[in-house]
Amino acid sequence: MARRVTRTGALARFFVRTLGSWMALSPGGRRVVRRVMLNQIWFTALQAVPIIIVLAGILSYLVISQTVRELGRLNATELIGTLMVIAIVRELGPMLTAIAVAGRSGTAMAAELATNTVMGEIRALEGIGIDPLQYLVLPRFVAAIVSVAGLILLFDCVAVVAGLAAAVMNGMSSARYFDIVLRSLSLTDVWLTLAKGLVFGIVIGVVPSFHGLGVRRGPTGVPIASSEAVLVSIVLIFICSALFVAVTQ
Amino acid sequence: MTAPIVFEDVRLEGARPTAVSLTVPEHRAISAVGEVASGLDRLGPIALGLDAPDGGRALLFGKQVTAMSRRAALAFRRQAGYVPGGDGLLQNLSLADNVALPLQFGSPLSFREIRSRVRVILSAFRLADAGGLRPSEADDEQRRRAAFARALVFDPRLVILDQPFDGIGLGAAAELLDLARGGEAADGPRRAVLVTSQVLPDRLRSRFEERYRVTGGTLRPDP
Repeated sequence: MARRVTRTGALARFFVRTLGSWMALSPGGRRVVRRVMLNQIWFTALQAVPIIIVLAGILSYLVISQTVRELGRLNATELIGTLMVIAIVRELGPMLTAIAVAGRSGTAMAAELATNTVMGEIRALEGIGIDPLQYLVLPRFVAAIVSVAGLILLFDCVAVVAGLAAAVMNGMSSARYFDIVLRSLSLTDVWLTLAKGLVFGIVIGVVPSFHGLGVRRGPTGVPIASSEAVLVSIVLIFICSALFVAVTQ
Repeated sequence: MTAPIVFEDVRLEGARPTAVSLTVPEHRAISAVGEVASGLDRLGPIALGLDAPDGGRALLFGKQVTAMSRRAALAFRRQAGYVPGGDGLLQNLSLADNVALPLQFGSPLSFREIRSRVRVILSAFRLADAGGLRPSEADDEQRRRAAFARALVFDPRLVILDQPFDGIGLGAAAELLDLARGGEAADGPRRAVLVTSQVLPDRLRSRFEERYRVTGGTLRPDP
């Protein structure tokens, strides 16, 4: 228990130091960070687009086609709007997207930084006066926030469209579907989704970097750091989701 | 003038504990030789404040780097060049980008100025045709040349080299050592140089003004 508290404290300090490293960036350093960040966005966001489309499409199609049928029997098809907004757009969309990004990019991030550490590259960087937080962590951190927020929005859009397909195939008109969904959707849902993107992005930007740079056991520590990073990220994503529900209700 | 490095009763605990009292003055190239078990490879990191000694203290340009804030320590270290054992190049960058990195973070130069300066440095280190290679595509000598180029990119007063000659030929080792010395001034090399190694090739011994070796758990002059 004491070890866990210590680790949590270290993770919090790491987060604060990462934020603080932005302040000390030289103009040249900002250029490098921007370049690394764009590379990371390419890998974390753009290359993840197909998997997010598939996940959102299948999930939404399954949920909406089942519910349209069942709720139709009860004459309660109005409820699919609530279901779409609360279950998919507000809860499952952000969570599944964050889990997918944590599994895909979080693993890669932790493994890459752990390898950098084991190969002595981090110490070499510090030895020549370059802050690994600025060069390696900060761009990944910002890229994770941008990517997760963007991918969540994509997930939600695809889910709404796939839900339309499912509804139409089960006998509902597209006009009625949009009417029901748009009536259930509020601006708060959009803000909430973006807030989740920010928080989950912070988790995915910080936790894998923390575990990657904290590896201590040579090459055998790399896979351990990667799996721990993903596990902790997913647990934190669930906890944050629960906190969002608790705070916003 | 303050000596670039002073080790005051530094203790290195390891398989074979070693005591080190050593001053690296300006215009001197100094070699410190000892087995892996002596922990001598920690001297460079200890001087730079990357590692803490098990006893005693190390001063870099008169200051104890471990007592500085993290940010101050990073900036302070730019006064010294450092080549760690195994070169420490970033694998996902080309050799040229590895050399450019310290300039990008630690200098006010524009992108174009950095490019042209890196081109000059790469030529000086005979890497003009190899700058685009990743470390995994380069041979041992090219990697070591790039690591030296990166360490000397700010033209520091002091260079710390850990196992710098491993895996490269004697000719290249002598050439790189001369580049690290930075040319000759009236009172010795232009830069202070500290080399830690397990072995020192005989032909390079004469290029060090002072030589030390771990004997009986203490770093002593090696005549």
